[in-house]
Amino acid sequence: MREQRRKDAVWQFTTYVFILVMTLVMLVPLYWMIVAATLPQEQFIQFPPRLYPGTAFFENFAALQERTDFVRSIWNSVFIAVVYTVLSILLCSMAGFAFAKYEFRFKEPIFYLILATLVLPIQLLVIPLFLMMSQIDWTDTFRAIIIPWLANPIGIFLMRQNMKSIPDALLESARMDGATEFQIFYRIALPAMRSSIAALAIILFLFQWDLFLYPLVILETSANYTIPVALSGLEGTQRVYYDQIMVATSLAIIPLAILFLVLQKQFVSGILAGSLKE
Amino acid sequence: MARITLTDLTKVYDPDGEAVVAVEDCNLTVDDGEFLVLVGPSGCGKSTTLRCIAGLEDITEGRLEFGDTDVTTYSASERDVAMVFQNYALYPHMTVRQNIGFGLKLSSKLSSSEINDQVESVAEMLGISELLGDKPKELSGGQQQRVALGRAIVRKPEVFLMDEPLSNLDAKLRSDMRTELQELQQNLDVTTVYVTHDQTEAMAMGDRIAVMDKGILQQVGPPEEVYRQPVNEFVADFIGSPSINLLSADVDGSTLLGPGGFKYDLGNASPVEGHDRVRVGIRPEDIRLVDGGPNRAEVTVVEPMGNENFCYMELEHIEMTARISPTQRPTAGEEVAFAFDEAALYLFDAETGDALKTKTDESPDNIHTEVST
Amino acid sequence: MSTQHSDEETPVSSDGDPLRLRLWDRIRFARQSYTERMPQIESIAYVFISPFFLLFGLFLAFPIVYTVYLSFFEYQSVSSDSLFWIDIGPIFIDVPQIAELQFVGFGNYAHMAGDSLFWQSMFNTTYILLIQVPIMIGLALALAIALNASFVRFKGFFRTAIAIPVSANIVAYSTVFLLLFNEQFGFINYLLSSVGVEPIAWLRDEFWARKTIIAAVTWRWTGYNMIILLAGLQNIPQQLYEAAEIDGASRWEKFRYVTLPQLKPVLLFVVVLSTIGTFKLFAEPYVITDGGPTNATITIVQYIYREAFQNWNLGYASALTVVFVAIVSVISIIQIKIGGDD
Repeated sequence: MREQRRKDAVWQFTTYVFILVMTLVMLVPLYWMIVAATLPQEQFIQFPPRLYPGTAFFENFAALQERTDFVRSIWNSVFIAVVYTVLSILLCSMAGFAFAKYEFRFKEPIFYLILATLVLPIQLLVIPLFLMMSQIDWTDTFRAIIIPWLANPIGIFLMRQNMKSIPDALLESARMDGATEFQIFYRIALPAMRSSIAALAIILFLFQWDLFLYPLVILETSANYTIPVALSGLEGTQRVYYDQIMVATSLAIIPLAILFLVLQKQFVSGILAGSLKE
Repeated sequence: MARITLTDLTKVYDPDGEAVVAVEDCNLTVDDGEFLVLVGPSGCGKSTTLRCIAGLEDITEGRLEFGDTDVTTYSASERDVAMVFQNYALYPHMTVRQNIGFGLKLSSKLSSSEINDQVESVAEMLGISELLGDKPKELSGGQQQRVALGRAIVRKPEVFLMDEPLSNLDAKLRSDMRTELQELQQNLDVTTVYVTHDQTEAMAMGDRIAVMDKGILQQVGPPEEVYRQPVNEFVADFIGSPSINLLSADVDGSTLLGPGGFKYDLGNASPVEGHDRVRVGIRPEDIRLVDGGPNRAEVTVVEPMGNENFCYMELEHIEMTARISPTQRPTAGEEVAFAFDEAALYLFDAETGDALKTKTDESPDNIHTEVST
Repeated sequence: MSTQHSDEETPVSSDGDPLRLRLWDRIRFARQSYTERMPQIESIAYVFISPFFLLFGLFLAFPIVYTVYLSFFEYQSVSSDSLFWIDIGPIFIDVPQIAELQFVGFGNYAHMAGDSLFWQSMFNTTYILLIQVPIMIGLALALAIALNASFVRFKGFFRTAIAIPVSANIVAYSTVFLLLFNEQFGFINYLLSSVGVEPIAWLRDEFWARKTIIAAVTWRWTGYNMIILLAGLQNIPQQLYEAAEIDGASRWEKFRYVTLPQLKPVLLFVVVLSTIGTFKLFAEPYVITDGGPTNATITIVQYIYREAFQNWNLGYASALTVVFVAIVSVISIIQIKIGGDD
């Protein structure tokens, strides 16, 4: 019995050590990034490095902003991601609603066709989309970044699955209350789907937020750059300003991390929903 | 207020080109202010009929009129009907107040304050005034039921439709709500069609009841008439609890010969004339246990109900039930003799199931007639 | 996502704010008469799906087909010529040719066989994949099990801390890792030096450059997989563990005979998801190593990017894409096969 208890204690201790080490591994790069963003370049590249924050954040930020309009890039990214998320949710939930609650010709084959594209990597689309955008003169525009990804297969899949769980009686009841089909959709179905929509919003937002290869190809002028494109352009100039780069990465990462802390439940359900298989 | 007239109403579903007839040639009139109960086993077409009246299903053939207006092609919202669903179908994201007021807000020309007044008066009538700010998930089943009723009442519809509205409540609440619903309907005096699979509920609530089976309307009439003069074996079997005892018997002149030595001499043989074989029906309350006689059965179980005993017997593998006085208590395995009056006897055609003879005894006023108001 | 402006709670008191109420009612009546005048549309479903389907066809279905088409051609330039036109009296539709192309048949595919950089990128990707995925899944599984243990306190905090990298922008975190692994002043070499290890040339050495990529990807995605696995663990009925306990199962036996078989579908799913994810690797090597040193970390997608948008061999890049998608599809099909067992 005592032997067992000692083994348990050792096991518990090991588990804690493991969790703590992993937590440190996850947090240290972020901490180091913040420290680096607050140090002047000279202090940052000294060896051994300084391990606590300095006070040069705003100086670094001003220098960064002078070199490249990073605030503009943040705004671009936020604008694109938000507009994309709202439009895509509207589109996907409308189509998902139709797939879940109406009958129409070729419903099943169409749905499975959409589903089949779920497994395809989006990189597949970059070359043809680039050519198409060049052809219609959409390169270097936000609409070229937003519109092609609006018809998101994950979105329609999730919305269809969840809309199916809305009882038909609820919609019929609204129909008898005199609601038109569109009113049924946006006054009954959409509000009833709040939590699924929140999860989908996070999936879509992160998808657009992390999109890199495609905007890298499409966007040309730095005023239109999104965060990833702007960041990738920061290094590679003759002299690398590490302090400024770290300010930029901090600005890219910290707001989303805070959002993650606040909306953790939605993030987790987004991750789980995104990982759903049929 | 309106009379509802169904003329040759037929509903055919067409899933994958395979036609399924859900309702066939249904002719039915519900009088203004009447409480009609549509009853039948599940899948009999009663809900489909209701949904056709509601406008939730297209009518394949036939006509539907409210008063003198042909509403066959009207959409649900144009028909001025209100419906209470089995699962209440309350809008989960709206408060009780918004739930009740939703229909008025969408389609009435009332001002917001008028809508509000009406919602409040309906809430008061149903005793849910304190719940107006709550969301449906905070309410109990009974409270949700009231909100669903309120939502239907507030629109002052011409026709009230209810699809098994009580089946999600527990037994005690169900019988309370039953009474309350009837009182409400009487006060509002709205034509009401009520669907249930529970024949007890049907008997207790309906001014008239309409029995359906396999998409076909079998019989419409006051509860007592349907109980006492069923048009066929199905109706006789479906209505009444415990259900009627049925057995097949050969006809030998005026004598009926059944399994297990069953033998009965008819005083009047005219109903069975020309039949070799008939189905015999006897209501459990009409069976008496007697000291001796030709008809004997083996007792299997006796259930004491307090005011009476249910005696289950077997007559050569045919289950029979008798409602007997609480003072009589035969033991299981005992062989008992039973008897019944010819006036209480039902006879049905062995092939078609059509009634040849139904109850002719005097109706016991105290049992059914009072309840059905 | 509340989208309604008009769902305002009606104020309780009727004389609360007559003006505002009257205004709302006006709007309401206007909308009512508007909806009454709107024609009833028989097949409303098509109205709901057509915007989605239009975009789907234009920007998803068509480009997929076009990629395959393109892979049989050599790209010359962006074109302005007509591909075809439809002339129906008053309506004239002119569909421009997307690009000036020269047909090369299977030339692009044939070229691949002798393209050493293509094989190098295949090798790199597979190499990274074979090391990275097992390490990450192992860590994620261990973390999920640890955080699912009943005795662990502050679960919420640990879970959040470990999962926080899922919110990190790909390029931003890659940039952080670029500096973390800097040879002169990077934090990693500082840590190593403080335990007496010589600084490592992370980004200049083939072996270590790959390890740096692996470390970065593992940091970003371990928490993500942990969340999925944790959800899978929580779905395992507690009675199974209680039954095993009564049978005298040890901790390892419980893991081996209860956890693993119960978690198998989720675990397989996570493995396939990660495999595909790592196979599609682009931003990390692009930012951290730029494919170097001497192409030791160039991945398939990165190679496609170079061929397409630096060398403008769009036809050849399309052929590479087709092969790449074929490989990913095979992995996906294997996933469906395995997933289908359950």
